[in-house]
Amino acid sequence: MNRNQLFTIASNWFHEQGWKPHTFQKETWTAFLQGKHGLLNAPTGSGKTYALWFPIVLHYIKQNPDYKNKHKKGLKAIWITPLRALSQEIKQSAERIVQDLELPMTVGIRTGDTSTKERASQRKNMPDLLITTPESLQLLLASKNYDKTFANCSAIVVDEWHELLGTKRGVQMELGLSRLKTVCNQLRIWGISATIGNLEQAREVLLGPITAEMENSILVKANLKKKISVKSIIPKQMETFPWRGHLGLHLLDEVVPIIKKSKTTLLFTNTRSQCEIWFQKILEKYPKFAGELAMHHGSIAKETRLWVEQAIRNETLKAVVCTSSLDLGVDFAPVETVIQIGGPKGVARFLQRAGRSGHRPGEESVIYFLPTHSIELIEASALQVAVKDNAVEDRLPFLNSFDVLIQYLTTLAVSDGFIPEEIFSEVKQTFCYQGITKDQWQWLLNFLVLGSQSLKSYDEYKKVEIEEGGKFKVNNRGVAMRHRFQIGTIVGDAVLSVVYQKGGYIGSIEEYFVSKLNPGDVFVFAGRNLEFIRIRGMKVQVRNSNKRSNKVPAWAGGRLSFSSQMSELLRQELYKVSENKNMSTELKSLTHIFERQRLESTVPTPKEFLIETFKSRDGYHHIFYPFEGRAVHEAMSSLLSYRIGLLSPITCSLAFNDYGFEMLSDKPIDIQAVIDNNLFSPEYMLSDLQKSLNSNEMARRKFRDIAVISGMVFTGYPEKGVKMKHLQSSSQLLFDVFRDYEADNLLFQQAFTETFEHQLEEGRLRIALERIRTQEILWAKCENATPFSFPLITDRLREKLSNEKLADRIKRMTKILMK
Amino acid sequence: MTQTITIDAQQFVLHPLGGIYWVEKSMLLISDVHLGKVSHFRKFGAAVPQKAIHKNFLLLDKIVSEFQPFHLCFLGDLFHSSLNKEWDFFANWVAKTPSKISLVIGNHDIIASEKFTALDIEIFTELQLDNFLLTHHPEEHQKLFNFCGHIHPAIKLQGFGRQRLKLPCFFKTKKQLILPAFGEFTGNHTLKPKKEDDVFVLVEGEVIKI
Repeated sequence: MNRNQLFTIASNWFHEQGWKPHTFQKETWTAFLQGKHGLLNAPTGSGKTYALWFPIVLHYIKQNPDYKNKHKKGLKAIWITPLRALSQEIKQSAERIVQDLELPMTVGIRTGDTSTKERASQRKNMPDLLITTPESLQLLLASKNYDKTFANCSAIVVDEWHELLGTKRGVQMELGLSRLKTVCNQLRIWGISATIGNLEQAREVLLGPITAEMENSILVKANLKKKISVKSIIPKQMETFPWRGHLGLHLLDEVVPIIKKSKTTLLFTNTRSQCEIWFQKILEKYPKFAGELAMHHGSIAKETRLWVEQAIRNETLKAVVCTSSLDLGVDFAPVETVIQIGGPKGVARFLQRAGRSGHRPGEESVIYFLPTHSIELIEASALQVAVKDNAVEDRLPFLNSFDVLIQYLTTLAVSDGFIPEEIFSEVKQTFCYQGITKDQWQWLLNFLVLGSQSLKSYDEYKKVEIEEGGKFKVNNRGVAMRHRFQIGTIVGDAVLSVVYQKGGYIGSIEEYFVSKLNPGDVFVFAGRNLEFIRIRGMKVQVRNSNKRSNKVPAWAGGRLSFSSQMSELLRQELYKVSENKNMSTELKSLTHIFERQRLESTVPTPKEFLIETFKSRDGYHHIFYPFEGRAVHEAMSSLLSYRIGLLSPITCSLAFNDYGFEMLSDKPIDIQAVIDNNLFSPEYMLSDLQKSLNSNEMARRKFRDIAVISGMVFTGYPEKGVKMKHLQSSSQLLFDVFRDYEADNLLFQQAFTETFEHQLEEGRLRIALERIRTQEILWAKCENATPFSFPLITDRLREKLSNEKLADRIKRMTKILMK
Repeated sequence: MTQTITIDAQQFVLHPLGGIYWVEKSMLLISDVHLGKVSHFRKFGAAVPQKAIHKNFLLLDKIVSEFQPFHLCFLGDLFHSSLNKEWDFFANWVAKTPSKISLVIGNHDIIASEKFTALDIEIFTELQLDNFLLTHHPEEHQKLFNFCGHIHPAIKLQGFGRQRLKLPCFFKTKKQLILPAFGEFTGNHTLKPKKEDDVFVLVEGEVIKI
């Protein structure tokens, strides 16, 4: 069969559905059938699944013209999805094609939710088309004779590649692909990504920067222009002090008419706890919505989530309060309106959420922006501009993540073992490890085998062994078992499952939250009031309660920073205020807040850099406003407090948001000395920043993930109830031990480089400091807190920093206690 | 910098490494050393730095040479888990240490007591001396004053400017004193003192009363 005949099959099928293939779909089919690799840039709901399922199937038909009579069993293609919630959807679209074309192919799913029985039968008999997650793919690589499983796999599609790109799961994927390139015959690699700033780089990361695959590849763009309109919900009554932590609930009454007006509305919140609270409050105030309102977030049981998704499709729900768990995949045609509660922190994310509504061709996407504090209206104003200019941000890929590499090498050692020379050349081809040196590689191998860089006779370290013939292999069953449990790079606090006493899984919450509960306490979870009974194994037993409670579990992580594009737009909006020109409706509605700000301090112009100081019951507040986004502020505050500490020892706590940062201290800081000594200078930035990290805890926190991923800390496995108490240690302890005894350890070092490159965005910091150099520093000595400062000074999640002698601090503290 | 306290007319010196020296009896009390923990982790494939193994012995040497006690008593959790090669280091250390050594058994001490007796270490489940009761788990006793470990106590301090600190400590109530964990690579557990409790924190080579 030639390509035209194959295309006819596909086109006919589209006609039967009453559709017409898009240009981008045909482009993808052609490229795929030509044997090319590539990246498809297409938004959710555009038919991207058919753009790649079809050529996979057509290729099979081409290779096996007699497919109706003779079917060869075994894996033909893999579809990777970052969220297992999406796998059902993808399976359905694949099955639809397979059935309609009367192909003898089977479609299967393998994720963390797949039963052990199902897995076992898959191991014997793999489905032709397999839908799985990056972690489950690694697990396949950890099973014996995996090379036979993959031998005849001719395609792998990585869906939602943009979601994986800036994460360690992305690195895991890069490594997985590097292996598959070798074990599969004629593998085609395809990625699907939403629009991000660095699409070209995204392709490079997927295929490897200098590889034959990259050479023979293509970037297909869907270019489906969609009209998006952004509407801000402006409170009728504006409070002067934009207190944070409102969660936007004061605007609840304004939301209800919007929900009533449209068929189905999605309300996006930024955190799971915010999601829980919103759900609760809407029902409390408008009990009529009961039965028509649902909730969806990542910690709720899978069955409930699936039910909610199905109910959206059936149009039985009026509204769903959700988190990023509904960002991806899953097409919901009935969604007419989207409400974003609180700043979305990024343009790409905002656009994607907006695109959740109005899926029918030609329909406009409507998204409402609901500010949680009034200053966020400035953000809304900036978002308007961003949407108009389609100013999306980059997703930065990781470099040299040795923790993931250690995990991967252990994976290979667990299954069939590996020969270092073979694997090194594969690893070296990936984007993440393109710069890895022979020395670093040798270090990693030593670490795997010896647990250190030198052999000591008394040492009993046991993990990977070198067999005759130079094969690196894990022979100890315990090591292998623990490693399989541990595969996966998404780490958080230890997670416990929440169950009813008589059984019945409700969801999962972090141990940290549970540790604060006493038996009998009531908390809100999954929209229910639950009474805490006890912890059994890794399970939290609860019963329903009629008592009301305001305790809502908090899930750590997930504080996002503005991208540089967004920060730039935000500054431009503020400058409009300072110059009183071109003000948007949002900005105009904030007039009296700006007035109040001017009364106490000022609204800076592009030429000015604002510093405010004042004293309160909490201590001495010093607030700096670079308007550069949270990540840059984190770095800048660390740098600045280090430099101030050189003038005279200080102890302070730091808070940062997207507008600025605060240093709170028990003694006033001499701002004049900060200005006179030119402490914002970009000179010696890197070395100062490095030193500053020793006095705070950022690197320490990074190390936590690294320790888990590289297998040095064993977390146990919640649902399996495996307890490893004797092997549990906190990564904090481990960090201290490494600092004191093995500071040159590559994994320990990685904690610092990661803090720089990913968290602190060193490059952006330098640009910001250069900019401040050209600005005039305005020091406003205020009597009271200013509106700009409010969100900062009320932030309780803080970074601590000190270069004072501990004993001195304690003596000062005890003095206060005794007073 | 140590702190000396008097209980029932007896003098006790609190040492910043976490030990207590009973002056009248020339007896040094040390709790929760958790020897062998590093090796145990390494045996199970977690690459904790080897160098950390020797630190415990160096610290033990230091505190013993400072007081040169006649009697050294461990209040439990001397070893973290089953036998490993750190036992040999321990045996060496015992051989060169002149003090008489006893162990009050803790929940982690699962190594056979014959192994200890072979090193001339006396084993107790609890030990009563005059009006004092030495145990691993905290005990409440009508008459006796209890020295114990197990908890790995620490307290949190708060100061102006939202400052917070968490530090290991000796935690003394009316009839009891809980010792901090002596060992490296051991965690701690925060306690909240009541008004009548005395807390002595360990900080940078000093013992400070809060």
